[in-house]
Amino acid sequence: MADDKDVLRDVWFGRIPTCFTLNQDEVTEREAEPYYLLLPRVSYLPLVTDKVKKHFLKVMKAEDVEEMWLEYEGTPLKWHYPIGVLFDLHASNTVLPWSITVHFKNFPDRDLLHCTSNSVIEAHFMSSIKEADALKHKSQVVNDMQKKDHKQLWMGLQNDKFDQFWAINRKLMEYPTEEGGFRYIPFRIYQTMSDRPFIQKLFRPVSPEGNVHTLGDLLKEMYPAALPNDGEQKRYQVVIHGIEPLLETPLQWLSEHLSHPDNFLHICVIPTPTD
Amino acid sequence: MKPIFSCSDRGGGPGSEYLDLFMMLPAEMSWMLDEQSFCHCCQLLLQWSQQLKDGWSWEGVQGSEDGYLRKTVLRSVVIDSSPVWDLEGSGSQSDTHTSCHSRPDQQGQETEQALCVAPEDGDSVRGDIDDDDDDDDDDDDGVCTVSGGSGQVLQYEYHILFSCSYGTPVLYFRAVTLEGRSLSLEEVWSSVHQNFRLRLQQSPLNTITLQEHPLLGQPFFMLHPCRTEEFMRPVLQAAQNQHRPVNYVLSWLSVVGPLVGLEVPLKYSTLLHPAASLGSTEPD
Repeated sequence: MADDKDVLRDVWFGRIPTCFTLNQDEVTEREAEPYYLLLPRVSYLPLVTDKVKKHFLKVMKAEDVEEMWLEYEGTPLKWHYPIGVLFDLHASNTVLPWSITVHFKNFPDRDLLHCTSNSVIEAHFMSSIKEADALKHKSQVVNDMQKKDHKQLWMGLQNDKFDQFWAINRKLMEYPTEEGGFRYIPFRIYQTMSDRPFIQKLFRPVSPEGNVHTLGDLLKEMYPAALPNDGEQKRYQVVIHGIEPLLETPLQWLSEHLSHPDNFLHICVIPTPTD
Repeated sequence: MKPIFSCSDRGGGPGSEYLDLFMMLPAEMSWMLDEQSFCHCCQLLLQWSQQLKDGWSWEGVQGSEDGYLRKTVLRSVVIDSSPVWDLEGSGSQSDTHTSCHSRPDQQGQETEQALCVAPEDGDSVRGDIDDDDDDDDDDDDGVCTVSGGSGQVLQYEYHILFSCSYGTPVLYFRAVTLEGRSLSLEEVWSSVHQNFRLRLQQSPLNTITLQEHPLLGQPFFMLHPCRTEEFMRPVLQAAQNQHRPVNYVLSWLSVVGPLVGLEVPLKYSTLLHPAASLGSTEPD
């Protein structure tokens, strides 16, 4: 369907206007101006913030610079989560641009993974793709691909090349027609209200009786607190790529169209703003 | 497809708390653990660990039935000033379609000081064959035989979680100095025994990477689970052929644990097969 293809493009090209400010405790030779950037929702912070680093390094001495890390309102930002997920989880209902603070000292290694080069990001990205395929196809599709296909997925993401990426990714979105969908849906549900970073379990897109499972069915099984009780005010928003899909949306469709490039459906459950 | 592994109580009689593992081999010839069986295997391992004083505990996650096995070990190491084994030289980060995933990038990792953690060397194998049931396992300590340099005590913490994506257990671990400084990936690699290190690097049966702990959200090192099914297959097949009970988690741990300095005492096997050993303690 032409409409569905448009969704893939809209997801890929989603952007978040962001303002980067240097942490005021950093030692600088002169004042650092904030840096503005449009961040791709589907990418990862270290992959797209080279310019930010270069900008602030101009006003700093080399000896005052260690591994860069980013923070929003006191919360260190996990670089291994897609950018859009970080925004939806932490700053969804705030005024744009998203204000991120840049640090070059005191890396919080109890909270954040180190990321010393792009190959660390690539390894993480490919690991997610393989895990997603383990769930969808028992790893058969990803294992049948050649090394250059894997590389093309990564290069497509790194260089923001939609067609290059999807030329390979479409194979990961196929399934035997008689099955009605993937074996299990790769998903993660994030919420800020508990210590547990996310919920990830086995869940089929179609019930044994042949009923198509919806987003609402998934939440009912995995995180019932997210759903409003009858007649009650909605306490939580269920957000994917910055929008709230209808709970009746089939999960299989969501997995095929609203997954991130890592092939996971990242779902954020956040408190409804009270204003 | 139904998971092929199930544990069930036999019920009644002495030794009935031993669960028979009914193994059903599906057409696809793959052995996967389901979460319930994982928990059963862990509970069994926990009981045996308590008998052997091996130090494992079960940590639950608040508000759910999920949890993991946990063990901490203190290890004494000596700072070795020889350079860290150059991981860059082990070949390109080639990622063939059958391999796990890229190895961690180790740009220029010639650190000034490498931590030489005592794995057992050939002459002083401890733990496995030792009969020290009375050892407090928190003092599990091999001491590196490199002379000179100051000793340092590290605390290793091991977690066993279940991966529903791969249907296998996964080993997570971290190491800190007593001052609370976390060990880096390079330092951890240098603590993997020479022999294992070579094998891990050359054929990524498992790779050690820094990952977010799925239940705690903190950075931990992880042995990647995507190859587990492959090396467990012959173990499970053999057990099935010989009609022997097998504890998936214990068997798996005995393979991957030693790779990262975690010993699994041989005595566990006497608890798994009480009939096979003479005068062994019966569970109660």
